Amino acid sequence: MKEKIDQLFENEAQLPKISSVVSKVMEMVGKPDVVIADLAKEISKDPGLTAAVIKLSNSAYFRPAKPVKTVQESLMTLGIKTVQEIVLLNETKGILKKELKGYQVDGESNWLHSLIVAELAKRIAVQKKLKVDKDVVFTAGLLHNIGKVILAEFFPAVLMQFRTELQTYQGPYTDLEAKFFGYTHQEAGAKLLAKWNFPEELIEVARYYTEPEKATQFPELVSIIHIANCIVILGGMGIDIGGLKIPLSSKALQNVGVTEGDLQMYYTLLPEMAKHIEELISV
Amino acid sequence: MLNKDVKIINVGIADIQGGQSPSMIRTTLGSCIGVVFYSPEKKVGAMAHIMLAKDPSGKDSSKNPHKYAETALPELVKRMAELGCNKGDYFARLFGGASMFKGMNSSFLQNIGDLNVSVAKEFLDKEKITLLVEDVGGHEGRTISLYLDDGRILLKKGGFEKYLYKVR
Repeated sequence: MKEKIDQLFENEAQLPKISSVVSKVMEMVGKPDVVIADLAKEISKDPGLTAAVIKLSNSAYFRPAKPVKTVQESLMTLGIKTVQEIVLLNETKGILKKELKGYQVDGESNWLHSLIVAELAKRIAVQKKLKVDKDVVFTAGLLHNIGKVILAEFFPAVLMQFRTELQTYQGPYTDLEAKFFGYTHQEAGAKLLAKWNFPEELIEVARYYTEPEKATQFPELVSIIHIANCIVILGGMGIDIGGLKIPLSSKALQNVGVTEGDLQMYYTLLPEMAKHIEELISV
Repeated sequence: MLNKDVKIINVGIADIQGGQSPSMIRTTLGSCIGVVFYSPEKKVGAMAHIMLAKDPSGKDSSKNPHKYAETALPELVKRMAELGCNKGDYFARLFGGASMFKGMNSSFLQNIGDLNVSVAKEFLDKEKITLLVEDVGGHEGRTISLYLDDGRILLKKGGFEKYLYKVR
């Protein structure tokens, strides 16, 4: 299995891809001296992306101060980071909306899960007044479990064995993934994001969101996504065959300063947040 | 197999939905509970996806009654009445209420599932609604689909799927 997945990473044709415009946008936004006009020009090379940026910029979710008619206006009204968020959201939708065969998660549920983790993570970062970039938090939340999409493709062949063993298996769920696929979905996700030349923060989140104690470079960001994911899973959104088997890390709670009362509040807020992201889900 | 004519009604978190044959009502549960009412005679049913037993703040339940068992369950009874069913026409089944992640050090999150289940059972008892089937607790999430043509439920949990046919 491991060889098959290694092959997959070497033979990029089968891997989920992102468009060259999106990679360029990600690269440009990562630089301190990015020029809005250049960015607008790059995004405008892709008509579908341009339409999506304008449509989403005007959605209730992003609440622009005044109606946005061009990519340039969108960048000026919402800011570069938010537009980058929109670009990624639009680009990864096709990947994250895929059914996770074998995990017993349908495409819509996985998409809702990704968006609501992103939204809750942002809420946590703001409420706890953390010094992390809230747009990075959203994107990290959006992409945290993208590796599942890759492993899900490989499920059918080993599905029966995997499920049978899972029913009596007591250890960490990801150990079982590693046993059957040679990789955990976290490793696969990190490899994919690295392949896309995405920033280190996003790679570390994908790699360690289920075991935030191991994060070395961005422990705070990884902890936020970890907590958000646990709460969303608890609410049943995007819950897979692993059930509630990922333990909530007390180290992560410490890193972010989340209290018992906060956890209760975040959990209770899930329905309102799901409503808030309704428009993003329907795009 | 799912017939193409079957309409799928999704029940979101803190949501109640009802319907009639041949529709199918579906939800996915973690610590939340899914309470299912079904009338085999009339082939109608309703499902509540409930997050918590009681409103911890006391202020939210008037705005969001479907979140909490104490306010959502009377609403579910009401929904069945709107669908033309009196008490005694329908029976209950109960799912979800998984307990939180192992080694959790949050007593709130740890106990949500158990509390949800016990409050729902108290309600059914008090209202004399027969509880036919339950699949609650454990560490697994569950997806339940209620087929209104005959009331069977497809339960997906921890890697397996099975039909539950007991409806009265």
